[in-house]
Amino acid sequence: MKYNEIAVLTDIALITCIVQRGKADDIVRAAQAAGASGATVHFARGSGIRERLGILGVAVEVEKEVISILASTDHVDHIFEVMHKAAQLDTPGMGLMYVTPVEKAATHIPPEVLERLRGKK
Amino acid sequence: MPDTSDKSEAVDGAHVSNSGPLKLKKIRFSAFQHELNVQQRPVSYNGVISAIAPDKKRRRKRVKLRGIDMFRLLRPYVQVRFSDQVKAVLPLAIYLNLFQILILRQNISEPWVVMLGLIAIIAGLMMFMEGLKHGLMPFSESIGAILPAKSPLPVVLLVAMLLGIVVTLAEPAIGALQIAGAMIQPESAPYLYEILNHWSGMLVFVIGLGVGLAAVAGTLRFLYGLSLKPLICLALLPALFLSWQMAGDPYLAEMIGLAWDCGAVTTGPVTVPLVLALGIGIAGAAGKGGSPLSGFGIVTLASLFPVTGVLLLANHVAAVTSPDEIIAAAQATTRLVSEISWYEQSPMQEILAGLRAILPLVGFLLLVLYYLIGEKLRNASVTIYGISLCLIGMIVFSLGLTYGLTNLGSQSGSLVPATFSHIDSVTDSPLYLFGIGITVTALFAWFLGFGATLAEPALNTLGMTVENLTQGAFRKSTLIYAVSIGVGLGLTAGVLKVVFAWPLAWMLIPGYLLAAVLTLFSSEEFVNIAWDSAGVTTGPVTVPLVLAMGVGLGDAVSAMEGFGILAMASIGPILSVLATGLWIKWSVYRKRANEDIQTSLAAGETS
Repeated sequence: MKYNEIAVLTDIALITCIVQRGKADDIVRAAQAAGASGATVHFARGSGIRERLGILGVAVEVEKEVISILASTDHVDHIFEVMHKAAQLDTPGMGLMYVTPVEKAATHIPPEVLERLRGKK
Repeated sequence: MPDTSDKSEAVDGAHVSNSGPLKLKKIRFSAFQHELNVQQRPVSYNGVISAIAPDKKRRRKRVKLRGIDMFRLLRPYVQVRFSDQVKAVLPLAIYLNLFQILILRQNISEPWVVMLGLIAIIAGLMMFMEGLKHGLMPFSESIGAILPAKSPLPVVLLVAMLLGIVVTLAEPAIGALQIAGAMIQPESAPYLYEILNHWSGMLVFVIGLGVGLAAVAGTLRFLYGLSLKPLICLALLPALFLSWQMAGDPYLAEMIGLAWDCGAVTTGPVTVPLVLALGIGIAGAAGKGGSPLSGFGIVTLASLFPVTGVLLLANHVAAVTSPDEIIAAAQATTRLVSEISWYEQSPMQEILAGLRAILPLVGFLLLVLYYLIGEKLRNASVTIYGISLCLIGMIVFSLGLTYGLTNLGSQSGSLVPATFSHIDSVTDSPLYLFGIGITVTALFAWFLGFGATLAEPALNTLGMTVENLTQGAFRKSTLIYAVSIGVGLGLTAGVLKVVFAWPLAWMLIPGYLLAAVLTLFSSEEFVNIAWDSAGVTTGPVTVPLVLAMGVGLGDAVSAMEGFGILAMASIGPILSVLATGLWIKWSVYRKRANEDIQTSLAAGETS
């Protein structure tokens, strides 16, 4: 097979959501129900608002989970909203999330989908 | 999400509103979409950061919380920690209840009191452990990391030793000893009664001294990389010798069970992490940390050294008083007990005991921090929160111990003999033929030990360490089952010992001698693992339960004393894990040997 072409995805955005350890699974499940195709979770440490919560700060884990989800720009707002709700980000100490533009990405794309998209062009 | 038919209807309605008699409600599509999507209102972060910026005194503003925020933050926090303790307590309680109702056909007396007591145990343990994490652990860690750099080695070792003593006071299971002591009849076991009632402060101090020495020895082991084998043999030698000597004296023999049980009591949820944190900190500061085995050993020594201490104390008590004097004094006091001062009654007694347990530890750690390290509390409010949580937890736990676990344990213990012999409190006992009854009792003890150990979370952690250490040769599940079966067998042996009044010394001494022999033949890793697994199994729930059960059982069969069951439950896993380790080593060796033969045969064929 000649390796002279790779399919590069555009119109992609990256949602990054940082929550307390142990909470990522539920949020990823909600995001997937809302149309996200996959998620990467890794561990981290971090604090900020924890120190300003006083005694209640002990209820906030310093250990965090960072969820990264690549979403199409059509879906990104919807997934963003669903994740915001699932993570209860309006409560202080629950974490934060942000969307960054992505220039390009590549992964496995089913060949039949590729063919169809090429036909449309 | 509303389906798309709404959308088309709304759009259609805009077109046909004037034509028919049908009155249609007009909805603007943009308004509908507005409802569907959450509105995202852009807020400039520049504006936010200037609004919450620190004021002139450089103090950051506190966050205001709504009620729902408090709930959302606290619910998972409490839930996780509560369910951890529920998992440790509930299976045991259910097992004991079912056994009592189905096999013994007895109802639980005072079920509500027992239940409230169990809830108190769960809540108390939860608060205590959380408080320990926030209030005391940071102290111990920073002392361990900083002290060796600031003070010479003798001072560091002195601090380790003192920490061992005060930490023993704070161990929740130590209170169970006093409660068990109150159930002893002075006539049947005078020395035991005397030590547990009038010398109890001294007893705890001696145990603490043992733990302190163990902390010193363990730290030196970290620093110089000593092998655990000679240390174990050195610690065992005086303990076994004293036990052997005391077994000859009928009055002193009753102390052996208590002494060996004390070793199991010390390795609880306070001692192990605090002393370990200090030891590892010291080893790390000396550049000797990081060895996967460095965490082991202290636990083992902390369960062996106190035994010798208690045995010596028993000899001392025997030298000062005689059994007749003790019995006479006990009878004199029972006539006078009509008036108990307010601070010796149930709720006050537990509160005072809680204060007495925690405050010395806190005071000691603070003194070391201020005078030796010269550092101030970094996060005072969290530390105060942790310490007060520790205190409340300890008090609630002691209350639960009195009303819940000890109650339940002594009930089961005193009723179990109904399976094979006549007991006044149980009508139509014996319930079964003698042989069947004894078998039921043995099985009861075995499953109690097996189940309680299997559920122990600390064992799971140990199992993972072991699997990594042995490169997968010693599987996690192998260790867990080896330890659980060992504890089950040990508990069975202990219960049978109480029922048949076998002399404990003749079970302990051969057991530990066998363990010593196996230790000499095993590799260093397995020795560390095996001896530590005994300490891991005796947590704050198992210890009071088994102690109370033993004393209740001893009462019911009118044995002299019910101690020694815990000691048997400690030696059981040591033997089973050492044996499993040797077996694994042997099977690996045999496999290698087979391979060697095959390769040499193959080599012979080709040449």
